Amino acid sequence: MSQRTERRGGIHVDQSDLLCKKGCGYYGNAGWLGLCSKCWREDYQRVRQKQIQDDWALAEKLQREEEAAYASSHGAQTQSQSTAPQPHPGHASLGPFSKFEEKKTNEKTRKVTTVKKFFSPSSRTAPKKETPEGKTPSPSVSRRASFDTDQVTKDFADFLKNLHKPGREIQKQCRAFIVNMSGKKDLGADELSECVQDFYQNLADRLMGHFKGSSESVEQVMDQVEKYIMTRLYKSVFCPETTDDEKKDLATQNRIRALHWVTIEMLCVSMDEEIPEVSENVVKAITDVIEMDSKRVPRDKLGCITHCSKQIFSAIRTTKNEPASADDFLPALIYIVLKANPPRLQSNILYITRFCNPSRLMTGEDGYYFTNLCCAAAFIEKLDAQSLNLSPEEFERYMSGQASPRCNSSEGDWTRAEPPPAPVNPVLAQLNHNLEVLSGLSSRQETLMEAAQSLQADLLSWPGSVQREVDDVLAKYPLEVPSRTVSAIDDNDVDNDNLPPPLTPQVFAG
Amino acid sequence: MAAGGTGGRTYSFKVVLLGEGCVGKTSLVLRYCENKFNDKHITTLQASFLTKKLNITGKRVNLAIWDTAGQERFHALGPIYYRDSNGAVLVYDITDEDSFQKVKNWVKELRKMLGNEICLCIVGNKIDLDKDRHVSVEEAESYAESVGAKHYHSSAKLNKGIEELFLDLCKRMMETAQAEERLKGNGASQSASSRRGVQIVDDEPQATPAGGCCSSG
Ligand SMILES: Nc1nc2c(ncn2[C@@H]2O[C@H](COP(=O)(O)OP(=O)(O)OP(=O)(O)O)[C@@H](O)[C@H]2O)c(=O)[nH]1
Ligand SMILES: [Mg+2]
Ligand SMILES: [Zn+2]
Repeated sequence: MSQRTERRGGIHVDQSDLLCKKGCGYYGNAGWLGLCSKCWREDYQRVRQKQIQDDWALAEKLQREEEAAYASSHGAQTQSQSTAPQPHPGHASLGPFSKFEEKKTNEKTRKVTTVKKFFSPSSRTAPKKETPEGKTPSPSVSRRASFDTDQVTKDFADFLKNLHKPGREIQKQCRAFIVNMSGKKDLGADELSECVQDFYQNLADRLMGHFKGSSESVEQVMDQVEKYIMTRLYKSVFCPETTDDEKKDLATQNRIRALHWVTIEMLCVSMDEEIPEVSENVVKAITDVIEMDSKRVPRDKLGCITHCSKQIFSAIRTTKNEPASADDFLPALIYIVLKANPPRLQSNILYITRFCNPSRLMTGEDGYYFTNLCCAAAFIEKLDAQSLNLSPEEFERYMSGQASPRCNSSEGDWTRAEPPPAPVNPVLAQLNHNLEVLSGLSSRQETLMEAAQSLQADLLSWPGSVQREVDDVLAKYPLEVPSRTVSAIDDNDVDNDNLPPPLTPQVFAG
Repeated sequence: MAAGGTGGRTYSFKVVLLGEGCVGKTSLVLRYCENKFNDKHITTLQASFLTKKLNITGKRVNLAIWDTAGQERFHALGPIYYRDSNGAVLVYDITDEDSFQKVKNWVKELRKMLGNEICLCIVGNKIDLDKDRHVSVEEAESYAESVGAKHYHSSAKLNKGIEELFLDLCKRMMETAQAEERLKGNGASQSASSRRGVQIVDDEPQATPAGGCCSSG
């Protein structure tokens, strides 16, 4: 059974799962429901075009609703309840939005399955995705989708309400900006970025006047503005079709896959995964960096990178017992990125670069970690024999899959599902235990199958063998009907005459 | 690119630390930001990104110090680290001639990539080991002057020269930022608006005749 053969490499992914579902031979991508970029484009471009148009129409509609909400929330508090957007009847028509959200939801599912892939003995156990055709969005999904966007809109209105007069001004600017952007669908990514950055810059400059130069207050407002604007614009400006971001994503994804053999030792990472806390940190860091793709607001994406980095710092600190310097941190981050193969890494990096509030990126702590992620991505792209202290020949052999360094240095490699020398981490111990139970179950199932099959074979051959036995017996004892020599009791038999006469009753005196 | 604070009250500066391995970059920042040296029990989680808030002649300054990975195999990543930085601290070890050579290379690269926008500091660290000095004071100082950088002597071990060098650097970065602001015209509000038709709308007739944001007060 498949569990058997694929058990050794915890990270192994079945090739056929990676190929385009249309069978064109290219790799598919879970984000495109298992299709390759070409097939996905062909199938969905038309649909998407319409979606985009509908989305913009919807955005404008929401805009008007939101204005109403804003006005009423300013007027009477009770009234704002009635305009609260949650179970709005108008949202029955949110088809395009919910479809978009559906893609996003799939991305979330993918996130989970990616994590699972690390641990599951066979990628075949990962839940299969439904085919896009004939899939009707469930009402709950579409409700949640619009709820998310509405929630952001509502939060933004609430936030601005507390700012009084500047709030009105900001609301007006943002509204005008979104409407303005709806007319610029065809702009290239750089131009879109410039528009958004100009807007941030201008608004921040204006706010400086309001808040008498308090940059903290301005930052706070700008965070909310970014959240609101980018939630609204996300679907049209993330990995836009005018760019080859998508191609870069695929290239990076394949590159990381091809580098699956790189070990922690080659990168000189100071994290000892034999230590339970460290391996826990590593798993969390991987989860965090994968999670980035599911966020819409640049700052939330940054947050994932920061969380990931903090886990790495803990791991290094635990291992080395001294604070991590950049020389410790960067290799560790590279290692985590290689392990995680984060979905749409390039798109996410570009999206953050283009649409994040610049002050965060340039001087903030988040910006530092983000820069390191950019470095990690660049390093992985350019990585060669020298960067890993390998000879070019060795590097070639590993790249081509002719040799694997794992065979020589299995120690400390947490991806291996082989029984470890000693159970290190409760999570890993549990995992190993589960794997053992699973393989036990699978071998028991195999035995059962074998038994069942032999039973079936037995049953099939049984009538034959019975027949054969009967034939044998028949051959051995051929049927002969002997002449009737046996006398029947009720025949009028002559022998009766030889019998003594029947007893007769006698009377005794007395 | 105004990474330096606009508006004129709080400045935010990004400073990158460059230099060969083991010259004492990490020790310098840890000493500066946490006043710690080689203490095995330090609670600091990481020493790769540190911040310091300063108050210089009544102006607030947020200093963000970025440690960089110094290993040779990461050299090519330099530009990703130092783009948009306001200052660079280039550290060498006075007992190590090679590390001074590395500093010269960095200076060349930074000037080529960032021009004069970036304030450069060259720091000869480990002056407590002066008996093993291999880089002459005169040579280092005259080199620094020739490339428009300032030179400092420091010891992370003895906590010498570190406060001064960062304070000095901040003052220079403030001057650069102020000069840039003056160039842009006073008040940053005019900057870069309405390229590409993105503009901040000024009051259009609306239900409530609220004043424009700048008319308050
Ligand atoms: N005597 C003396 N030793 C120092 C001084 N500063 C740093 N050291 C020592 O030099 C060694 C390297 O210091 P680090 O701060 O780790 O150097 P680094 O430049 O960060 O090195 P990398 O992170 O490898 O690039 C450590 O053993 C420090 O204790 C100093 O001023 N005097
Ligand atoms: Mg260091
Ligand atoms: Zn295909």
